Amino acid sequence: MLTFDHVHFYYKKGQTIINDVNFTIQAGEFVSIVGANGSGKSTVAKLIDGLLLPKKGTVKFQQLDTTNPDELMKIHQQVGFVFQNPEDQFITTTVMDEVLFGLQNIRVPREEMRGRVDTALRAVQMEEYLEAMPHQLSGGQKQRVAIAAILAMQPKMIIFDEATSMLDPQGRKQVLSIMHELHDQGMTIIHITHHMEEVLSAERILLIHEGHLEFDGDPFVFFETMSVEKYQLQLPFAVRLRKTLQLDPPFTVNWKEGIRSQWSIN
Amino acid sequence: MVYQLNNVSVNYSRQTALRNVSCTMEEGKWISVIGQTGAGKSTFVQVLKGLIPHIDGDYLIDQQPVKRDAKGQLKVIPEIGFVFQYPEHQLFETTVFKELAFAPKQQGMSNQQITKSISKILPQLGLSEDILPLAPFQLSGGLKRRVAIASVLMMNPKLLIVDEPTAGLDPISKVALLQLLKKWQQQVNRTLIFVSHQMEDVAEYSDEVIVFHEGCLIGQLDTRTLFLEQSHLLEKIGLSLPESVQLLKLVEELTGEKIQVSSCREQEIFEKVIPVWKARRLQNV
Ligand SMILES: Nc1ncnc2c1ncn2[C@@H]1O[C@H](COP(=O)(O)OP(=O)(O)OP(=O)(O)O)[C@@H](O)[C@H]1O
Ligand SMILES: Nc1ncnc2c1ncn2[C@@H]1O[C@H](COP(=O)(O)OP(=O)(O)OP(=O)(O)O)[C@@H](O)[C@H]1O
Ligand SMILES: [Mg+2]
Ligand SMILES: [Mg+2]
Repeated sequence: MLTFDHVHFYYKKGQTIINDVNFTIQAGEFVSIVGANGSGKSTVAKLIDGLLLPKKGTVKFQQLDTTNPDELMKIHQQVGFVFQNPEDQFITTTVMDEVLFGLQNIRVPREEMRGRVDTALRAVQMEEYLEAMPHQLSGGQKQRVAIAAILAMQPKMIIFDEATSMLDPQGRKQVLSIMHELHDQGMTIIHITHHMEEVLSAERILLIHEGHLEFDGDPFVFFETMSVEKYQLQLPFAVRLRKTLQLDPPFTVNWKEGIRSQWSIN
Repeated sequence: MVYQLNNVSVNYSRQTALRNVSCTMEEGKWISVIGQTGAGKSTFVQVLKGLIPHIDGDYLIDQQPVKRDAKGQLKVIPEIGFVFQYPEHQLFETTVFKELAFAPKQQGMSNQQITKSISKILPQLGLSEDILPLAPFQLSGGLKRRVAIASVLMMNPKLLIVDEPTAGLDPISKVALLQLLKKWQQQVNRTLIFVSHQMEDVAEYSDEVIVFHEGCLIGQLDTRTLFLEQSHLLEKIGLSLPESVQLLKLVEELTGEKIQVSSCREQEIFEKVIPVWKARRLQNV
């Protein structure tokens, strides 16, 4: 569905920001992108969405090339992008218009719009803020609205660029379960995050290190075999605990149930 | 310095963001502020910095009412360092160097001294000198946040307020920042107000925790008491416990044994819990 073929990118000549990155993501995958601050994760996200164009190599979404302006339009209709800073995404003066704006852009029929707005805002529990100004919301409320605006568009793929960084623990869980629900319904999810516990529930990890794709594979293999500190990352709590207790891997998915079942087996 | 609010309320056009908040923040403490999205945390710290002109109630520093203008409005308090939840709100210079030099210049520091302090602060935040000529908007999210924190530390504030300072930092940079803040706070024996959603960090570093719920301050407790003895308070408002505390409680539940810990730091909990878990599991076999 999405292919990076020998992609290179720099903002200024002489720099190397993205260096020969290759990967293919199939429709319906749940992929996490991790890496140090400044390693190039958001740049990769913007290359996927065609907000940035490769200096060398190609980025294709379902055979559509981001460098072709007509095809780029079609990509925008199918790829949703929740920005790292929700304020970069806001352009209107009310929460309702914010969600409507995206729908108008992709030409959703008028009679369908209001229903979509309500459903999306309800999913992130912001339905009471229809008339509020996006810039006057709390930090976490802004993130929720930014997510709702993309959900309403019902794209084929969503890129979440650290979209849960300002949410309270419960809100984070909710958004994560929204991502998994969408994934169950067949949507492709790309989740950029610094929260290692969130990564455990992905199907696949891409590790970006100084603009290079350093690892591409299973999260469990990743945490068992890579020296993650080298990439400014840490083991998730469950993996630290598993190692200390010397228990077997399935335990890691849900450590509380893991402990309970260990206890009752013995 | 002691900072004190008496019955402070803040009303926005659509809603009341703070309701009758009273609290005292003593010198030399790491005080964390927690609560759900929209609970009033950022509003609370903005009041302390004097960023919200109209408040009901009183704000005292060392028993003295904070100065107001002729219309009774509060003014920004320069000695308080403040790092915004979104760093973009405070990065306005054209280069990172100017950004870092801004506060010390205003305080009358010489150019030579400024360059020296900048060289000192950059490595503490894991930043390289290469970024000095860049415009702040050219930085990645996590780098922007570290520059925002560095520029506030450059002013050597009396009280430091950081609103979600670890959001967007990679895990190792996050730990480095938390340790830097702890060192700063202990070395100069000043107060740090730390707003965060990361219960693990709150449990690990704070002396005291202030809990907000729907605009009300519903508790100000020492960290151990909150997480180990009054955890129902958090469950009631839907905030989860740090994972290490969850582990402690689970093993206590399964073994029926009370495990004594003197803090809720992860290392201590691991040290006390693992032997109990291992011993009891063997007995069960
Ligand atoms: N507009 C820009 N102009 C010049 N350089 C930029 C620009 N945007 C990003 N960079 C640089 O490109 C590199 C990669 O940035 P990117 O935003 O992709 O990192 P990231 O992995 O998303 O980091 P973070 O975890 O901090 O969000 C960084 O060194 C950054 O400073
Ligand atoms: N400038 C403003 N105008 C109107 N309402 C506001 C303004 N700023 C905040 N609010 C509202 O006041 C309430 C408290 O907001 P505040 O930013 O203090 O929350 P918070 O606890 O910091 O939340 P978060 O964890 O999401 O950052 C929210 O419901 C918010 O929508
Ligand atoms: Mg980024
Ligand atoms: Mg806030």
